[in-house]
Amino acid sequence: MSDSDTNEPRTDGSGPGIVAPDDEVPTWRERKERTTGLSRLTYEYFERARREDQDLRQESSYVERDVLGFPAWPHETIRNLALASFFTGMLLFLAAMLPPHLGDPANPAETPSVILPDWYLYWSFGLLHLDPINPELAIVGGEKIMSDELYGVLANVVTVGAIAIVPFLNKGSARRPVEEPFWAAVGVGGVVFAFTMSILPIQDMFPWAVAITFDLAFFLPLVAAAITYAVLKTMREGYMYDLNRRYYRLRPPK
Amino acid sequence: MSLERKDEYDHGAWLAEKDLSIIEKTYLMTLIWLDKRLRIVDYLELLEDMYYKINLQMPKSHTEQYNLDNKFWYWYPLYALGSFSVIAYIVAAVSGALLGFYYAPSTAGETPEAYEAIVAIMKDLNFGFMLRSIHRWSAQVMTAAVFLHMLRVYFTGAYKEPREINWIIGVILLSLTMLFGYTGYLLPWNQLAFWAGQIGVEMSLAVPIVGEWTAQLLFGGFSLGQPTLIRMYILHVFVLPFVVTALIALHIGIVWMQGIAEPH
Repeated sequence: MSDSDTNEPRTDGSGPGIVAPDDEVPTWRERKERTTGLSRLTYEYFERARREDQDLRQESSYVERDVLGFPAWPHETIRNLALASFFTGMLLFLAAMLPPHLGDPANPAETPSVILPDWYLYWSFGLLHLDPINPELAIVGGEKIMSDELYGVLANVVTVGAIAIVPFLNKGSARRPVEEPFWAAVGVGGVVFAFTMSILPIQDMFPWAVAITFDLAFFLPLVAAAITYAVLKTMREGYMYDLNRRYYRLRPPK
Repeated sequence: MSLERKDEYDHGAWLAEKDLSIIEKTYLMTLIWLDKRLRIVDYLELLEDMYYKINLQMPKSHTEQYNLDNKFWYWYPLYALGSFSVIAYIVAAVSGALLGFYYAPSTAGETPEAYEAIVAIMKDLNFGFMLRSIHRWSAQVMTAAVFLHMLRVYFTGAYKEPREINWIIGVILLSLTMLFGYTGYLLPWNQLAFWAGQIGVEMSLAVPIVGEWTAQLLFGGFSLGQPTLIRMYILHVFVLPFVVTALIALHIGIVWMQGIAEPH
């Protein structure tokens, strides 16, 4: 006590001591609102987003259901267990009925007459056989810009890339193929293209000229896409009425 | 002089103005004491939230909501394809782990040891033929289910606006599934495996700058041999299972967060 009674400045480095908070002292909430930088921005954004959400919900004309899903137990759980066991049973049945084949052991000295990957890579393997459309440049004296192999690998990359960017090309609230015949046609064309590419590796085995198979591989997807487009366009009018009635009430178009 | 503020959060005063029995008082004081230290309230809120999320009720049934009473065929079964691929993945994982006990990734010997191991599994091991069959078929079915799942998502427009990220994760998962299948295809080291591997090496060598490096990394050289087999084995049983499982968890987690796309 004797130390604090003297008003001389202390030289031991200690501060003026704890001051009791008054009305001027900011609360923690105020401090938080006063901070700057990224954390401040995040805080402000979340506040705004929450308010926006709330406003939208209050303004919206359609009635929000107070409850949003089925109870998971017992209906859904039992149904899912039943489906899962049926599916697993189907797998075991397949495995028992159609046993796998094991060919000859690997022999680097002997190339088999047919080299094929598993079925799900047929399309990719087919894309490696695109050498007839590997472009040649007159400037380089009619030589190909890149090797046929590289062209095939790039074709694979381009295909996967094209699939990956679909959501950035096609936006909006349309959900059913009839609502967007063009994109449905693109999809059907793509599926048919995967099948026609799959037959490219065995194009020599058909009784007609190789060039015909190769041209068909590109022509058939276009035909399929055109047919899909025409059919969906025709179906559209009748369908749209029902669709509007059925679920645009739940999901009003913007 | 006290530093404590007298405000509405003064639980002591609140407690004092209530007429409580000794049990109630003890309970409340314990609760407040614990809550000050552990913020139990937050966790209670979480629990409450979970309770209401689990016990949700819907005023209309699925068929009522989408007016399906007069429909014979509907897209709904196609919405099970995603979970079918997960089930097939689990079956493949279990049977694959069992197969792993008896397999050796080695090309040594007149007939490659890996091939001999597969022959032994199929001929000598009890239930071995069935085990390999189950593994192979679940892999086939998983790949098929993943492809069809992607088609379903495409044709019902479920990849659209808020769900782009999950579509891209799905494309990555599809590619990894095919890579899974490819690495597994090479493991028996039979003629099909060897020449499929040869195609892989040639594909990577065709790429200009990184090609040779990729061939070294993935296939352990420019011609196939022991290094190739061991790399395919490690990819198949160590790298891909972790990566694919994590990505599937993320994929399903995002579906859970964003909800299944309407209509279904």
